[in-house]
Amino acid sequence: MPELIIDHREISVPQGTKVIDAAERLGIMIPRFCYHPALGSLGACRMCAVLFNEGPVKGLEMSCMVEAEDGMVVSTDAPEAVAFRRWIVECLMLNHPHDCPVCDEGGHCLLQDETVSGGHGIRRYKGKKRTYRDQDLGPFIQHEMNRCIHCWRCRRFYQEYAGYHDLGALGIANRIYFGRIEEGPLSSPFSGNLVDICPTGVFTDKPSRFKGRRWDFERAPSLCLHCSLGCNIVASGRYRELVRVEARLNRQVNGYFMCDRGRYGYQYANRVDRPRRPRVDGREASWDAALRTTAERLGEIVERSGSQAIACLGSVRNSLETQARLVALCRNQGWPEPRFFLDPATERKARSAASRLDSTLAVSMKDLEEADFILAVGVDPINEAPMLALSMRQAQRRGATLAVLDPRPVVLPADFHHVPVHPRSLYLALSALITRALHRDAIERMGTRPLQFYDHARGIAPEKQDLTEQITLLARGLRESRRPVIVCGTNIVPETVPPLAADLALLLQQEKPDTGLFYVLEGANAFGAAILSPPQDPREHLLECIEKGDTRALLLVENDPFARFPDQERLRNALGKLDLLATLDYLPSPVIRMANIVLPTRTTFETRGRYANQEGRVQETWPAYQGGISLAQVRHGAHPPRTFQDHIPGGDVRNASRVVTDIDSKLSGTEGKTGSGDFWEFLEERGIGVAVTDPDDHGTDGVRLVQKQDRTPVFSAENFSLTACAAPPEALTVLLVDWTFGTEELSRYSSIAEQAENPPTITLHARDAADMGIAAGDTIALPVDGVRLEMEVEVTEHMARGIMILPLHRQLDWDRISRIPSAILKKSIKRKKR
Amino acid sequence: MSELVLLKNSQPGETISFEEYRRDGGYEALARVLREWSPTELRQVIIDSGLCGRGGAGFPTGRKWDGIREDAPFPRYILANGDEMEPGTFKDRFLIQTNPHTVIEGIILAGYAVSAQKGIEFIRPSYETQARVMEQAVKEARQTGYLGKNILGSGFDFDIEVHRSGGRYICGEASAQVTAIQGMRPHPDKTFHMVQHGLWGQPTIVNNVETLAFVPHIVRKGAAWFKSLSRTTREGGTKLYCVSGKVRKPGCYEAPMGTPLSEIIESHAGGMLPGCTFKACLPGGASSGFMTKEHYDIPMDFDSLKAIGNRLGTGAVIIFDQQTCLVGATLNLIAYFARESCGFCTPCREGLPYLRDLLHRIEGGEGEESFIPMLEDMTRFMTHAYCAFARGAAAPVHALLNAFPDEIDAHISRKGCPCASTRSWPVGGIGESCRN
Repeated sequence: MPELIIDHREISVPQGTKVIDAAERLGIMIPRFCYHPALGSLGACRMCAVLFNEGPVKGLEMSCMVEAEDGMVVSTDAPEAVAFRRWIVECLMLNHPHDCPVCDEGGHCLLQDETVSGGHGIRRYKGKKRTYRDQDLGPFIQHEMNRCIHCWRCRRFYQEYAGYHDLGALGIANRIYFGRIEEGPLSSPFSGNLVDICPTGVFTDKPSRFKGRRWDFERAPSLCLHCSLGCNIVASGRYRELVRVEARLNRQVNGYFMCDRGRYGYQYANRVDRPRRPRVDGREASWDAALRTTAERLGEIVERSGSQAIACLGSVRNSLETQARLVALCRNQGWPEPRFFLDPATERKARSAASRLDSTLAVSMKDLEEADFILAVGVDPINEAPMLALSMRQAQRRGATLAVLDPRPVVLPADFHHVPVHPRSLYLALSALITRALHRDAIERMGTRPLQFYDHARGIAPEKQDLTEQITLLARGLRESRRPVIVCGTNIVPETVPPLAADLALLLQQEKPDTGLFYVLEGANAFGAAILSPPQDPREHLLECIEKGDTRALLLVENDPFARFPDQERLRNALGKLDLLATLDYLPSPVIRMANIVLPTRTTFETRGRYANQEGRVQETWPAYQGGISLAQVRHGAHPPRTFQDHIPGGDVRNASRVVTDIDSKLSGTEGKTGSGDFWEFLEERGIGVAVTDPDDHGTDGVRLVQKQDRTPVFSAENFSLTACAAPPEALTVLLVDWTFGTEELSRYSSIAEQAENPPTITLHARDAADMGIAAGDTIALPVDGVRLEMEVEVTEHMARGIMILPLHRQLDWDRISRIPSAILKKSIKRKKR
Repeated sequence: MSELVLLKNSQPGETISFEEYRRDGGYEALARVLREWSPTELRQVIIDSGLCGRGGAGFPTGRKWDGIREDAPFPRYILANGDEMEPGTFKDRFLIQTNPHTVIEGIILAGYAVSAQKGIEFIRPSYETQARVMEQAVKEARQTGYLGKNILGSGFDFDIEVHRSGGRYICGEASAQVTAIQGMRPHPDKTFHMVQHGLWGQPTIVNNVETLAFVPHIVRKGAAWFKSLSRTTREGGTKLYCVSGKVRKPGCYEAPMGTPLSEIIESHAGGMLPGCTFKACLPGGASSGFMTKEHYDIPMDFDSLKAIGNRLGTGAVIIFDQQTCLVGATLNLIAYFARESCGFCTPCREGLPYLRDLLHRIEGGEGEESFIPMLEDMTRFMTHAYCAFARGAAAPVHALLNAFPDEIDAHISRKGCPCASTRSWPVGGIGESCRN
């Protein structure tokens, strides 16, 4: 722990701390441009110069380049250092256009701050300014190169940190240009971070351009709900419109960054067609009337058909409070326990994942970056949870090996071993990996249960020779690693895989105590949904209950069953049979148009709520603004407002958890009293304790939920029998997958994210395509009853054979997709003549 | 005339062939070393010889080689730096053109000294002719078994590749050169140690072409002989001095290290041109400071020049006469440096165009008194840039301010250049804009 003196104050810092960080610990912000904690030292801007008076380093040096050492005496305000820094700012301002009044960065611009604080006020340079031509970088980022001060942060983030190469430095001397070789949208799904990281206005947020100054915005800490990782964000609203999302530092989760889906997916909150008023049978109603009608009709149905006729379906985008209130409602009323997943298989996968994440195995994204071997099973990070890919890249930059067992043509901004395995072979491949990575002798010492499991896994032989070689390679990597992390998806994988991944992690943990387990779940609060779901499966699928007439009323709480359920027609028919369809939602989903009762709720930007991410970390969002229909929509763009009202138009939307409670109160006749349903108490009943990850960071990094006792026996995987579901070789299994843009439920409602969507295509393995005489770029017609379904084909060798990949894309006609069988005969696929 | 080592048989424009080189004892040193010497012995001889790096810094070559530890990983690389973009310097071009095999033998010996497997001759793209000469010579050496697997039956494998630079001044800086060869943007990088993590992350020695060319001669004739060639006590050998400017015979001359400037000008370069009197010179290329008549007899070696706050640099002596405007000359140099800055750090990227603007205004008659303290501050600030480039670029300005304040004052007070020589710098065209 070196001890040094900075500006007459002593401080002791960990070995390896840079002087610039040591000063920051004392509250002294040494000016900087190129230095960024996530990117590290560079030494290019020379802005952080300080005077070293005593110690191993003497004279004017850059505080970001010098590690703190014993005996250093540093002065940040020595006249020499101040004069030098003032000159540096002067140099940086030589060519800067001084266009702060029309620059979106103005007001939160590091260059502005340093120029003013550095004391450079009067321009001495008489020469002309250098000018550049800007580029169109796509829908997200506005480019204005004249403002550039060449700090290199953009290039370092884009290329070194994120691993994309279409943006970089061109030219030399003071003509260096940061941009692309040609104009065009940036290829990185992390491009929005350029806006956050640029110390001035070269890269600004295009959708929020000219929408206001930082101080005009109503801002609040919030969470990204566009996947299960739970990245921390700051939401900015103005005039009742959500205008901008930025990444917020969480050292355990997303660090300083976030992905573009999260950053630009927010427009669902601003939709004109958002439900704004309660509606009963298609007519607007007051909240009181709507809630009363809801309660009355529910009561009637219970009287008529019994309490078992009521079904409540929450969702993976509910806050924990809403989920808990919904459980409380059902219990109070004696209804069946609510469900949060329409698809029982998805529920089982989420439940099994949540139950296996104990405090010793679960790792955060930050922990993942420290891993030395990452095995990702059945997960396509860039498409399912983009920030995971960025995290994996950081692990690799620190020396980790990455391996992905997945049928899809997975692309990562990092080198990795891809073993493309057919989904139904994932279990076999993973079993083979377990037996090759671990010696039986070692397992034997662990006891009979692990050994039984190991032998079970060993009994399964992988099907192909070439697969075995790759598995052996991965097994060696796993064996030699010290901090392996098993990442497991829950989307396309069979139900047997998530528990098997946990078993593997558990076995590895016996030898390598730092082994980690990291699941990717389906939905922002899928973890909460999983732990609040009843421990046993429903006897029947909800749709079957409705179709048979057992379920007469359905209460949907922020759940759009149409979003993920492929068979739209069946769903529509089933919902049509209900006596009562009541829905609480903020999305203008298809259900809104069908429901008897619509109760509009608030988005996460308009209310407080807690969400548990995929590792069980509970984090909180705060309302950024009041909600209501945006001024732009009310006034159709005219400004300023000329109508004065005593209420906020469209502002009478309510927090879903409150609405659920209100229904409960109406039914119980206990209006005004808050019913039971305190979330933490509720968890206590379920035996789920709260593990505080780091007591010091409580509150900023969130707290992690763990279950007090495991509900599922350890080494559960052998309980599953392997059903030989081998499709005939002449058939292709249809795999419905996620893409970064165009498939995720919330961002599908965002007009900004839409612009980054690629049109949906079918992806085939090159050899499968060749067998059928299909080439890349061909349009094929799929054998779908009654309707025509034609799509363009992409061909690749980097995927498993025997599958056909189709994104669950917004632009697809879902009614047609639902008619695609789960396996298609190759010969029935017709190539359309060009 | 003292003994010549590198330029013994050289004729400008002609190349000493493989046969001629062999006839004069070429590759004997290599044969002897491979047969009789251990790498350690070779390194010790080079240390004893006092050979100092000829690229500009003057670091003892043997000590540099010792920087690679015995247990350092393989492969290891020798990088022969023939970038030579320092204005006024053309010794490496001359050397490669006239005597490529001595360079090759030097590279191989350096390779042996540090157990390297590969040498790379990094050459400036405008030296295309010399690159071809080098390639031809490498081919000959390979055909005759001096390069390749198991050289002369010794079990030592070594080969040389000629790499043409993309062509920028910064590529002469060792760490930038390494990144350039790896196909990346060349920036100086102080975060790695060349002898541990150089080229492709492997131990690497970067030596100037001239430095390496001395090695075979030292082996053949001994460290003591080499040291005795010099007129100094510490730095051994001869030095290639490139003389340019207002002299009768500008050119590349080999003379003992520490030869006085006066002797270089008068006996080698034939004295000043008729009608010209010596006003000042840059002793070590464009990134050294102006030296006045006061130091006319100074010994031209690293230590002597360092003692007066100047640099021997590459030994490129640029001579100015009484009629040359030194403000204009400095402006010319700064314009070059401003164009060649790699743009990595602020003092260099923005400071040089700033300096250029001020000098341009002084030279063009728009100078103000207030510019002088600005120039003084800025030349001082330039020393805190990331690499030595900006410090070197500021050196002539610094020297101009110290040694010729009256000339600057005259420019300012008379609102224009008072010198007799015609203006060498166009007044327009400084504030250039960039279109991308």
